[in-house]
Amino acid sequence: MTADTATRTGTEMEPAARKRTRTKGNQLAGYVFISPWLIGFLLLTLWPIAQSFYLSFTDYSLLEDPVWTGTNNYTKIFTDDSTFTKSLSVTFMFVLFSVPLKLFFSLMVALALNKNLRGMNLYRTAIYFPSLIGGSIAVAALWRNMFGIDGYINNVLAWFGIEGVGWISNPDTSLGTLILLNTWQFGSTMVIFLAGLKQVPQELYESASVDGAGKVRKFFSITLPLLSPVMFFNLVLGIIGSFQTFTSAFIITKGGPINSTYMYAMFLYEKAFKHYQMGYASALAWILLSIVALLTLLNFMASRYWVFYESDGGKTK
Amino acid sequence: MANKGWTKRLGMLMMAVMLVLSACSGGGNGGNKAGEETDAGADNKGNEAPAGKTTLSIMWWGTDARHEATQKALDIYTKQNPAVTFKPEFMAWDAFWQKLPTLAASKTITDVLQMDAAFIQEYVARGQLEDLSDIDLSGIVDPNVIENLSIDGKLYGIPLSQNAQGIAFNKTELDEFGIPHPHKDWTYDEFFQWARDARAKLPEGKYPIGDTTTWDGFNYYQTAMGKPPVMSDGGKTFTLDKDLFMEFYQTYEEFRKSKIVPPAEKAASFLENDPQADPMASGVVMTRGATTGSVSALEQLMPGKVGVVNLPTGPAGGGWAQSTIFLSVSATSKNKDEAKKFVKWFISDKEAGKALALTRGIPINPDIYSELEPTLEAKDKLGKEIYDLSLDKALPFYSPAAGFSEWVDTYRKEMDAVTFGQQSIEEAFNKIEKMGKELAAKAGG
Repeated sequence: MTADTATRTGTEMEPAARKRTRTKGNQLAGYVFISPWLIGFLLLTLWPIAQSFYLSFTDYSLLEDPVWTGTNNYTKIFTDDSTFTKSLSVTFMFVLFSVPLKLFFSLMVALALNKNLRGMNLYRTAIYFPSLIGGSIAVAALWRNMFGIDGYINNVLAWFGIEGVGWISNPDTSLGTLILLNTWQFGSTMVIFLAGLKQVPQELYESASVDGAGKVRKFFSITLPLLSPVMFFNLVLGIIGSFQTFTSAFIITKGGPINSTYMYAMFLYEKAFKHYQMGYASALAWILLSIVALLTLLNFMASRYWVFYESDGGKTK
Repeated sequence: MANKGWTKRLGMLMMAVMLVLSACSGGGNGGNKAGEETDAGADNKGNEAPAGKTTLSIMWWGTDARHEATQKALDIYTKQNPAVTFKPEFMAWDAFWQKLPTLAASKTITDVLQMDAAFIQEYVARGQLEDLSDIDLSGIVDPNVIENLSIDGKLYGIPLSQNAQGIAFNKTELDEFGIPHPHKDWTYDEFFQWARDARAKLPEGKYPIGDTTTWDGFNYYQTAMGKPPVMSDGGKTFTLDKDLFMEFYQTYEEFRKSKIVPPAEKAASFLENDPQADPMASGVVMTRGATTGSVSALEQLMPGKVGVVNLPTGPAGGGWAQSTIFLSVSATSKNKDEAKKFVKWFISDKEAGKALALTRGIPINPDIYSELEPTLEAKDKLGKEIYDLSLDKALPFYSPAAGFSEWVDTYRKEMDAVTFGQQSIEEAFNKIEKMGKELAAKAGG
């Protein structure tokens, strides 16, 4: 490839130069065409991000001008804010449990739906359906009714003579119900897995069968390795998404009881919009960004030990 | 050569952009023209209407009854003043106070909004509310009331009603189990003893009184015992009496052990005015707090079963009875004059008064109340009863000082942790006091 290009530029100098200017023109036209998005990105995304970085070093109540306080916000967060520690640990617990559970569960469902059965499309639709209304407030409200002290779950338990606890109103179980809700919203993860499963070449299974491999062996030696890029993708997105969990905690538990479900995003929201501490909230946001960025980086570094790309000849990097 | 091609392309692009733009503006022109034509057809009126036409946005919280009544009142106003129409938004208490801060942050608070005594200081301190002192309320509102409501000598909310805090009790079930009704001006000692006695007579799963973890519950106690309120002097003075604090919450700790109050887990699942989850309407707790403005919702959940009494008292008195719900005007409103005219009308128009009835408590305007009095329903009479019972012992209404919203949350969370047995009362006291002192120092400096 490279040799080929080299000879071409060597022998046909003039057309290449023209080509370059033409590319420049095309580039400009391209930028003009994407300018609506570009302007939107610069004004509505990049500018506010830059501003929030500045605000994180100030004391800002929204209504008065920000006052520069240096690293005060960060110092207070790290040394003198027990709510920060609490909400961070709640969020870590949430991520730690909900991400693997969701991955496992959606993989199992994807495997079950990857069979050639009659009416499979119907099953797929039916199982994916709840995810269409997934992150909505309606589902959060439903969850509250199910896991409330007089909710459906406890009613069903009562048939068997078991007295349920107030799943949502008990600090020991409240986070669990939110993890369960997050796991149940497996739809999009599952669809991505399903697409990944479809990509696994059938001939690999056939040749493995010829070599006498059983179902389990085929799963661990063919399916799982070939699915690892998809798994990696879902893992990274899952971690980022879970760190930002807000709706369920806000609607179902309001962060309580006693901060047991006080997610980081909710802490941030309340600091900003309930207590008007925009500077402090901005600092919190940047800390969250750093944590998520760091975890994603670690993930990418770890991925070379377990993610296989077929294009690399099935070798890890 | 190459350059030429480039300019040509750019020219083409420019032309395309121009075409798109002119296509858009062409559409706009067409629309305008059509609009002008209809205006012209409407003759003189058409020329006047755009100049004087105002849409007032208005937001309030409350129950369905209040929503319906208020919408009716808005219709009446539009009928009387055809130039003014409304863009109403209404919701429940929680949703309202979740939404308002975001509106405040984006400077898009509605022209007119309902305000509560518990939050008005905070919003005034942040410059969100318009000074309404120039509205002439003589003959409509008692001058003393206005004086009491003034913040730094200015009026930021038009009082709508007389309100009072009391305790509602389930009179049917108390009778059934042979428990005497609480009496007017009962003291805290009598209140606690009543709860202990009632426990002995109630079956399992029912509780005489509810638990308390919010700051106002203790503030009632501290002030009734003759001490200053927790926050005073605009938040510059912070007083949390440790002896009273320990005494008060140790009593409740004893109550949790002896099942006089429901377990923390149960308490956390209560939702007031929800048919299934209301502590009292669900039949679980025999009493709960109720105000003049809110007791009718409870009565509707359990008709004929609700009795009321004033809050327990101490040597200094107890509870409060005053105006706590207001209509305010946003400082960023573009229709301040219309808004001011409307808020005055809201408490002075007879027809509106009839439509609104007692959906916000006892109307502040005595003329309107006297017209309503003969037609009051049982649910409305309860509200009046709370007010009358509370009046002679009433202390002022104490609201959180500006800047204390986070402290209010912290107070509840720390006390919740006590009810769940996760920390001692003293630990909670230390944290609550430390934060309060810091905030007071900040407000003073």
